[in-house]
Amino acid sequence: MDFRINDEQRQMRETAQEFFEDREVLERARERIDGEDVVDDLWDDLSEMDYPALTVPLEHGGLGDDVLYLSLLLEEAGRVALPAPLPETLAFGAFVLDELGSDAQKEQFLPAIADGDQRLSFALYESGQESLPRDIQLAATPTDDGYRLDGTKTLVPFGEQVDTIVVAARTGSGTGMDGVSLFLVDAERVDSEPQDTLDRTRPAAKLHFDDFEIGENALLGTEGEAGPTLQKAMDRYTVATCAMTVGAASRAVEMSSDYGSQREQFDKPIGQFQAVKHRIADMWMATQAARSLTYYAAWALENDEPDAARAVSEAKLFCSEQLTQVFADDIHNHGGMGFTSEHDGHIYFKQAKAWETFLGTPTEHLDRIADSHEL
Amino acid sequence: MDFEYTEDQERFRQELREWLRENLPDGWQAGERPGTDDPEENVEFLLDWQRTLNDGGWAGLHWPEEYGGADASLLEQVIYNQETARVDAPARINAVGIDFVGPTLMELGTDEQKERFLPKIISGEELWCQGYSEPDAGSDLASLSLSAERNGDEFLLNGQKVWTSYAHVADWCFLLTRTDDSGPKHHGITVFLVDMDQEGIQTEPIHQITDETDFNEVFFDDAVAREEHIVGEIDEGWEVAMTLSAFEHSMSDVFSIEQRWRSLVEFCQEHERDGTPLAEHTHVRRELARLHTRIQAGKLTHYRNVSKQMETGVPGPEGSMDKVFNNQTEKKLENFARRLLGANNALWTDGPDDGQWVTDLLMPYGKMIAGGTKDVQRNIIAERVLGLPKDD
Ligand SMILES: Cc1cc2nc3c(=O)[nH]c(=O)nc-3n(C[C@H](O)[C@H](O)[C@H](O)COP(=O)(O)OP(=O)(O)OC[C@H]3O[C@@H](n4cnc5c(N)ncnc54)[C@H](O)[C@@H]3O)c2cc1C
Repeated sequence: MDFRINDEQRQMRETAQEFFEDREVLERARERIDGEDVVDDLWDDLSEMDYPALTVPLEHGGLGDDVLYLSLLLEEAGRVALPAPLPETLAFGAFVLDELGSDAQKEQFLPAIADGDQRLSFALYESGQESLPRDIQLAATPTDDGYRLDGTKTLVPFGEQVDTIVVAARTGSGTGMDGVSLFLVDAERVDSEPQDTLDRTRPAAKLHFDDFEIGENALLGTEGEAGPTLQKAMDRYTVATCAMTVGAASRAVEMSSDYGSQREQFDKPIGQFQAVKHRIADMWMATQAARSLTYYAAWALENDEPDAARAVSEAKLFCSEQLTQVFADDIHNHGGMGFTSEHDGHIYFKQAKAWETFLGTPTEHLDRIADSHEL
Repeated sequence: MDFEYTEDQERFRQELREWLRENLPDGWQAGERPGTDDPEENVEFLLDWQRTLNDGGWAGLHWPEEYGGADASLLEQVIYNQETARVDAPARINAVGIDFVGPTLMELGTDEQKERFLPKIISGEELWCQGYSEPDAGSDLASLSLSAERNGDEFLLNGQKVWTSYAHVADWCFLLTRTDDSGPKHHGITVFLVDMDQEGIQTEPIHQITDETDFNEVFFDDAVAREEHIVGEIDEGWEVAMTLSAFEHSMSDVFSIEQRWRSLVEFCQEHERDGTPLAEHTHVRRELARLHTRIQAGKLTHYRNVSKQMETGVPGPEGSMDKVFNNQTEKKLENFARRLLGANNALWTDGPDDGQWVTDLLMPYGKMIAGGTKDVQRNIIAERVLGLPKDD
């Protein structure tokens, strides 16, 4: 057992940190918040670094790295609120393609992802109020040469900024994972509308399917049997969001620490007041704890450990319950300045809040943890 | 990063497991806890256990072989902590000697001191206590005033220590004294190894909230210490004291908290409320899940700290997190456990495990104070890890 980050991983992170700073990624997140389109340019930059190739298997032109490696990169991405669908494309899209795709599908998509020519996202929610998989009800009706989709999807991350969307639909009946199928849908063909999101660094879209015809080759894997892979993909994506949140939290701790040393009131730096100082120490501890849980979850997923699902839920639960507080505390530590859009704190706070209930509320994760202990 | 144990480490675990199975006191596995009613009997029992550990070669796990230790790696120590927590092994009564005083002497002691003291620490022949806190010097330890004045080649000790755990049974004390009060407070402190068996030293037990009397007031009235028992340089004892606390902070309670969580799960499966096992009540399931998450976070963070220590060789200020974070977890766990008892929460020795649950509830409140309070630990994190300004 060795919990150290190895030299290669450390190097990759340092390079990533420099690169994100050099390309002023946080500035671009702010432009994205202001409604500008930044994804195309940013994706070119990311492709220059081969980041979209990271977890694409070697035999399909990727770098073949694991979830843990991706998480370490995303931790750096989280520090600058990377406004691009990297978690969607890699943790979800490339993963389901590799797991379920036919040779032809893999050949069509994976090398293109690795080359930076294909961005992917996923469409799961329909009402956005029910839990998954109950909220997957969109009908996929067989036709002579494929399927017809009818229904509406909501909360599709970067739905209007990606090339292909993995759409979850029901080819059977019921509310469970049984009977769920995944389809590859060309985003350009879909009738979509943008949604204004709490976390404006990450846009979302609503998709309308009305007699929407797709070919047989759009189906991923066997009809009605995508459930287990979908669950794993959601777990990977969840860990990816945890990694970004952990990176964001460590930046929040740094911002608070810097401000605590600089800002003076009552003739001394506010970081000398223990109400502030101890709050920052608590923020640091929560961040460390969340980081530990996230690394372990990534490792457990990659190695198919028996406790992998639980590890994911624990990481997500902790990020949801404890790191949102870290961002809130950072805002508070900055006083009036903390409530301005100029201070970066709100960017992270909103992102964490938006993810808090995405792909599982804290309560649902608690129940999954309890189930895993056979309670 | 790899969370898998190597074959060698697994072999170490198996060996330890087997040894524990064969050597734990009779009835221990079945839940018998000898000597819990009678403090003296308890000390005898724990001394016995210390000797058993030493005979098996487990007492000085992290000590070098030349001093009778097993030269175990940090990870083997982690495994040791996991396994002994799993069977809730008896406490190590000489932890102060083995974990703190021994390693400090190995690093800073004279050859004579090492030869004289180390073998008896590891064998459990001599028990140690740690004489730091005084009535007017707690968190601000460096303001301590118990005086040591030269008298030929001896020193005369006068003053008082307080909260000294196990002083009433200890043979020796690792004592912080004031030898010069003319300069800044961190200067002029001297560490002595002091024989507790002498007329000039009186110990008075203090009644704790747990109803136990593990800590004491210790009065020094012309007690004698010898020059050759000074650790490090005279007047430079602060550095010595800090060396010792670094060792103190590298321990973790998280494995015993995890064990306690497991036994609480069993309790919830075996006990009903309103006709349904507690473990099937939604709020119980969720709280157990939340607690496990915190335990897991504490454990994994401990592994990360240990991994870092393997690289740097010394425990870092991260140990403060180990302490504060896990202490919070333990308090949450114990308070939750009390609620599971329903109205019977109001019972002490007539409650579960003859009152052990009450001790378990109360102890974390003491741990939050001992060895530097949580406030002091937060200062350490803020100042040494995050670079925030020091208190005035
Ligand atoms: C179970 C137990 C076992 C112990 N065993 C030993 C032992 O074997 N040997 C030994 O020498 N001592 C021992 N101690 C003593 C322990 O180290 C001290 O109690 C501790 O360092 C605090 O000192 P104090 O009691 O004087 O409290 P004080 O220092 O007076 O603290 C009182 C309160 O003020 C807070 N406070 C103090 N200074 C600051 C500050 N700068 N910033 C913010 N808050 C502050 C503290 O956190 C605390 O809440 C033991 C204590 C306990 C509870």
